[in-house]
Amino acid sequence: MTDAVIVEAVRSPGGRYKRGGLAATRGDEIGFQVIKGLMARVPAVKPEDVDDLIVGCAFPEAEQGMNYGRVLAIGAGLPISVSGMTVNRFCSSGVQAIADATAKIRAGWSEVIIAGGCETMSHIPMGGSIFRPNPEWNFDGGQPNVYVSMGITAENVAVSYNVSREDMDKMGVESNRRAYEAIKAGKFKEEIIPIEAFKYKRDKNGKRIRDKVVFDTDDGVRWPVKLEDMAKLKSPFKAGGVITAANASQMTDGAAFSLLMTAEKAKELGLKPLARLAYYAVAGCKAEEMGMGPAFAIPKVLKMAGLTPKDIDVYEINEAFASQAIASCRLIGIEDRYWAGDINPNGGAIALGHPLGATGGKLTAQLLHELKRRKAKRGIVSMCIGGGMGAAAIYEML
Amino acid sequence: MSYQIKKAAVLGAGVMGATIAAHLTNAGIECCLLDIVPFELTEADKKAGLTEKSPAWRNRFAANGLAGVTKSKPASFYSKKNASMIKIGNFEDNLKWLADVDWVIEVVVENLKIKQDLFAKVEKIVKPGCIVTTNTSGLPIKDITANFGKKLKEHFLGTHFFNPPRYMKLLEVIPGKETKKEVVEFMIKFCEEVLGKGVVVCKDVPNFIGNRIGVFDISNAITLMVQKGLKIEEVDAVIGKAVGRPGTAVFGTLDLVGLDTGYHVMKNLYAAVPDDESRDLFIPPGFMDKMMEKKWLGNKTKQGFYKKTKDAKGKKAKLVLDYSTLDYVAPTKPKFESVSAAKKASDLGIAESMKIVFGGKDKASDLIREYLCNNFIYAVNRIPEIADRVVEIDNAMKWGYNHALGPFETWDAVGVRNAVDVMKKLGKKVPKKIDDMLKAGCESFYAKKPDGLYYYDFAKKGYVKLEDNPRVILLPALKEQNKVVAENASASLIDIGDGVACLELHTKMNAVDDGVIEMINKSCDIVEKDFLGMVVGNHDPRAFSAGANIFKVLLAIQQGDWDVLEALVANFQNANMRMKYLSKPVVTAPAGLALGGGCEIAMHGARCQPCGETYMGLVEVGVGVIPAGGGCKEILVRVTEGLPDGVVEAGLNLQFHMAKAFENIGTAKVATSAMEAMELGYIRKTENISLNRDQQIWDAKQVVLGLSKFYKPPRPALIPVMGENFRGMANGVLYNMRHGNYASDYDVHVGRKVAYILSGGDCNEGTYVTEQEILDLEKEAFLSLCGEKRTQDRIMHMLSTGKPLRN
Repeated sequence: MTDAVIVEAVRSPGGRYKRGGLAATRGDEIGFQVIKGLMARVPAVKPEDVDDLIVGCAFPEAEQGMNYGRVLAIGAGLPISVSGMTVNRFCSSGVQAIADATAKIRAGWSEVIIAGGCETMSHIPMGGSIFRPNPEWNFDGGQPNVYVSMGITAENVAVSYNVSREDMDKMGVESNRRAYEAIKAGKFKEEIIPIEAFKYKRDKNGKRIRDKVVFDTDDGVRWPVKLEDMAKLKSPFKAGGVITAANASQMTDGAAFSLLMTAEKAKELGLKPLARLAYYAVAGCKAEEMGMGPAFAIPKVLKMAGLTPKDIDVYEINEAFASQAIASCRLIGIEDRYWAGDINPNGGAIALGHPLGATGGKLTAQLLHELKRRKAKRGIVSMCIGGGMGAAAIYEML
Repeated sequence: MSYQIKKAAVLGAGVMGATIAAHLTNAGIECCLLDIVPFELTEADKKAGLTEKSPAWRNRFAANGLAGVTKSKPASFYSKKNASMIKIGNFEDNLKWLADVDWVIEVVVENLKIKQDLFAKVEKIVKPGCIVTTNTSGLPIKDITANFGKKLKEHFLGTHFFNPPRYMKLLEVIPGKETKKEVVEFMIKFCEEVLGKGVVVCKDVPNFIGNRIGVFDISNAITLMVQKGLKIEEVDAVIGKAVGRPGTAVFGTLDLVGLDTGYHVMKNLYAAVPDDESRDLFIPPGFMDKMMEKKWLGNKTKQGFYKKTKDAKGKKAKLVLDYSTLDYVAPTKPKFESVSAAKKASDLGIAESMKIVFGGKDKASDLIREYLCNNFIYAVNRIPEIADRVVEIDNAMKWGYNHALGPFETWDAVGVRNAVDVMKKLGKKVPKKIDDMLKAGCESFYAKKPDGLYYYDFAKKGYVKLEDNPRVILLPALKEQNKVVAENASASLIDIGDGVACLELHTKMNAVDDGVIEMINKSCDIVEKDFLGMVVGNHDPRAFSAGANIFKVLLAIQQGDWDVLEALVANFQNANMRMKYLSKPVVTAPAGLALGGGCEIAMHGARCQPCGETYMGLVEVGVGVIPAGGGCKEILVRVTEGLPDGVVEAGLNLQFHMAKAFENIGTAKVATSAMEAMELGYIRKTENISLNRDQQIWDAKQVVLGLSKFYKPPRPALIPVMGENFRGMANGVLYNMRHGNYASDYDVHVGRKVAYILSGGDCNEGTYVTEQEILDLEKEAFLSLCGEKRTQDRIMHMLSTGKPLRN
C-alpha cells in the first residue's frame, strides 16, 4: 500500500462571529484564498497535479452549498479537471476530509488531494437555515435527541461528570492566555494565510462601498481576562446553568486546508513530507452528552494504533465547551497534560474559535506546526461532534 | 402663517433632554440631540486614541444621553428602533442643523446665563417661523427672553415636560408676553394631538402650576408629620391609594424622584416667592439637611426615606428612616380604621373613599383633614396668582403628580361646606373667595348641567361652561345624553355621532364574558343596519380588556358543562369573525392592557387604532390554555399576509414567520407599546397610533368615517402553514427549553398544543388552510386543555392570587 503524506497544512485566521474580521466576507472567498495560499507555499505542485478537493462543512448550504468542494476548486483557480466534493460530519468534517483523502491516496485512487474545511458561521446559522427535525421522534421517551442544542449537551456534561464552574472558567482564562502568548510570539505566522477580507463601509459622500482589508490574526482572543469577571456571566442555555460565553467556544469564520499526496509523488517533486495521518477513528456516544465524544474516540484510535496516551506528544482537543474538554480529558486520564501544556498548547477554541466544519483542518495545521516547532513525533487531533460522536486522528511527523 | 413640526432639535442631552427626544420619535418626529463638548480629554480618551477633533469625544454627552435613554426603565422609546431617528451632535459643531428644524427645545442646566448665551446663538441660526421653547422648571420666561429680538420673542414659549415625558401626561405651556397667539394655539394643539400630552397653560410665575402646588403638597405633608409626631410609614399609609395618590405615597415618591431634586425645588421656591403666605413650609426640616449631607437621596443612592436591605435569612426587607434619630428601623405596620374602610369602598370610586377618610374619627382622619384643608386653602389663594381657573390647577395635579383628583375636585368630593366647617374647627382662615362662593349659592367647584360640565369662576363669581374639545369623545357623557343604542350588563353600544357607534366593554377589567360576546353580535346586527361603522373602545385607564373571564370558564369546567364551554369558544370565535368580515368597517381602539381575549378582539377589526400605551399579548398559556378566540388564527394571518403569490410554492421557508408566532404565544409575550405590538405582529405596521388617549376614540371614529366612504370587507384569508414539519421544529425548541429549565413539563405539553394549531394540523409544508380550520384546532386544543387538572390548577391559582402558576 502506498503511503499518503501531508506536505503542507495552512489555515485562515479565525474571525469572530458577526463582528470579526471575516464577518462581511463570503465563505467561499475565504476558501479560495486559503487554497491559493496553500498552493503558493508548495510551488513544485502544479494546479493540474491536483486530483481532487475535499472540503468539510457542517452546514453545506447557501454560500456553502451547491457542492462546496467543486465551487472552491473552481473558484480557487484550479483547472476544470480537478474534481471536488463536500463531506459533512459536523465538527469533525475538516479532519474527516483529510482522513478521506488519506484513505483515497492509500487505496491508490488519487495521487494529489487538497483537503480541509471551510465554514462561515456569521452567515449560516447553527442548525442550518432550514431546520426540520422529525416530528415523530419522542426524545423524552428515550429516542436519542440528535437535534439537541449544543449548549444543553454541555450543561448535561457538566452535571453528569461533575465539572465545576470554576474549573471551566479556569480553562477559559488559560485558553485565552495561551492564545495571546502564541500570537505575541508570532507562532501562528507559519500556518496562517492572510485573507484579503471584505469590509462594508461608507465613503466620504455617505455612499455604501465595499472595501478590502488584510486580515491576518485571530481576533477572538480576549486578554487580559479575569476569573472574577468570568464568574459573573450567566448561562444562555439553562436557567441557573454553568455554561457561559467565557467557557464555551466562540462561533467563528475560517478555512483550513492541507495538501496530501502519495509519498512517491512528494519524492518525485522533491518535497519533504511534513507528516502523515496514521490512524483515524470516529465513535458514537449519547447525543445529549455529545461533548464526551473525545473520551471514546481517543481510546479507540489509540487502541487501533497500539499506543497509550503518553505516547502522544501534543494533543489538539477542540474546546467546544470547557465542560466537555475537561470531562473528556479526565476520563482518559490526561487532564494533567493540559496543565503541562501538551494539550491545546497555543490556546483552544474558547480563545481562537470553532468554525465547525473547518475546525478539523484548522487544528491539524496548528498541531503539525507545533509538533514541528517541538521537533516531536506524534500528535492527536480530536473533537466532539453534534448528534453524539467523537473523532480522533493520530498524526506522525515525517 | 401656519405651523408644522416635522423635525425638532433638543438642546441638552441630560435625562430630561434625552427622554424628551425619545418621546418626540414616538410621535414620529425626527430630531437632533445636542450637548456641550466635554471640557477636556481624559487619560482614558488619549489611550483610546481620541483627540479633540474626534467626533466620538466631541459628541460624548449627547451620545451618553442617547445610550442612557435607550436603556431607561420604564422604556422611553416605544421601540428601540426609534433611536435611529435621533441624530447626535454638539453645540460647537452642529448648531447649524437648527436651520433645518421646526422646533427647538432647550433642556440645558437651569442657569440663566448659560441659557441666554445658548439662545443668542440659536437666534442667529433658526429659520423664520421656527418655534423655540425652554423646558425650564424654575426660571422666569421673561428673564430668559430679556435680550431676544422681536421675531424670536414672538415664537418663544415655555414647554415644561414632567418626568418621564413618555408617561407623564402633564405639559405646562408658558407663553411669554410677546408670544404670538397663533404660536401658542398651535403648540397647544400640537402637544395634545401629536405628543399626546395634557396641556395646561400657565402664567410666567415661579414653578408654574404643577411644581408650585406639588411642592406645597409635599411640604405640607412633611410639616404635619413633624408637628403631629407621626412616622414616615404612617404618613405614607394615609396619604396613599385610599385618597387617590400613587402607591408610592409621599416619601416613596420623593425617594423615586430623588431627595436632592425635591430639596432644591423647595429651597428655590422659598427664595422665589417672598409674598407667599405659606413660604415657611418650603424651608426643609433639619433632618432633610442631614440626609442631603449624608447623600441619602433615595432610590438612586439606595437609601432615602426608605432603605431596601436583606434580613439575616437573606430575605428582602424594607427599612424606614426614623427622622428623629436618623436610624433606619423596621417599619411599623400602621393600620387605620378609616383607611381600611376607604379601601373596602374603593369600588364606589375615589370620591367616596376620600369622604370616608376625611370624615373618620382616627389619627389618619385627623391628618387627612388638616392636610387637605391646608391644600385647599393654598390652592384657592393661588388664584389668580398662578391660574385664573380651578381647572388648570386640578389638571396639573392629576396629570403631573398622578393625583386621582385635583385639589378642587377633592374639595368637591369631601364637600365644600363640610371642609369649610372643618377649617373653622381647626382654626384656619377660610379664604374670602370661598365665603363669597358659598354665599352665592355655589356649593361645588364643578357642576354638571345637561349641556355639559361647568366650573366655578372666582372672577365672575358664578359657573362658567367648560369648553368642549371636539376631539374628545366622552362615552359617559353620551350615555347621559341617551345615546345608548343597545346595552347589557357587560357592554354598551353608544352612538358617537356622524353615523358611527362605539362598542364599550364595561365588565371588571373589561373581561370578555357571555354578555360581551352577545353585545358584539348584537352591535354587528345594529351597525350593519343603521350605522356607517363601529369603534370598539373605552376610557378605562387600565384596560381595553384584560382577557376572558376565566372564572366563568372554571365554573363550566367544574360543572362538567363541556357543551357550554364549547359553545362559549365557538361564539367568541364567531363574534370576532363577524367583526372582521362585517360589511361595515370595525375599528378597534386598544389602550392599556389588551390581553388574551382582549387582544383577540383588538385583532379582529378592519383596522386598529391603538393608543401608544397599549400592552398587548396572547397570554393564555399562563393559565394553561391557548388563544381560542381566533388569536392563533389571526397571528398566523398576520405573519403570513403580504407574501407575494407563488413564493410559498417556490419553497419559501416559513420557519421564521412561524417561530415568531410560536414564541409570541408560547412565551405569552406582551408588547410594552403599540409600536412593539406591531413588531410582534398583533397590530399591522400600517396602522396609526394615537398618542392622546383622550382623543383616541375620536381618532378611531375618523378612521371608520374614512373607510365608510368606500368599504369592502376583507377577502377570506388562506394561510400557508408548515404542517408536521413545524411540529418537529417546535418539539426541538420545547425540548431545549425544558432541559434548560425554562419550561416545565406542563409548559411543554401546552406548547405542543400551540404548535399543533400553528402547524395547521396534519398536512404538508406549504399547504394553504382556511381560517375556520385553524379556529377548529384552537377550539379542540382549548377544550382538551380545560379537561386537564394542571390547567384547572393554573386557572384557580390565577383567580386566587392574580399570578400565573408554573406547574
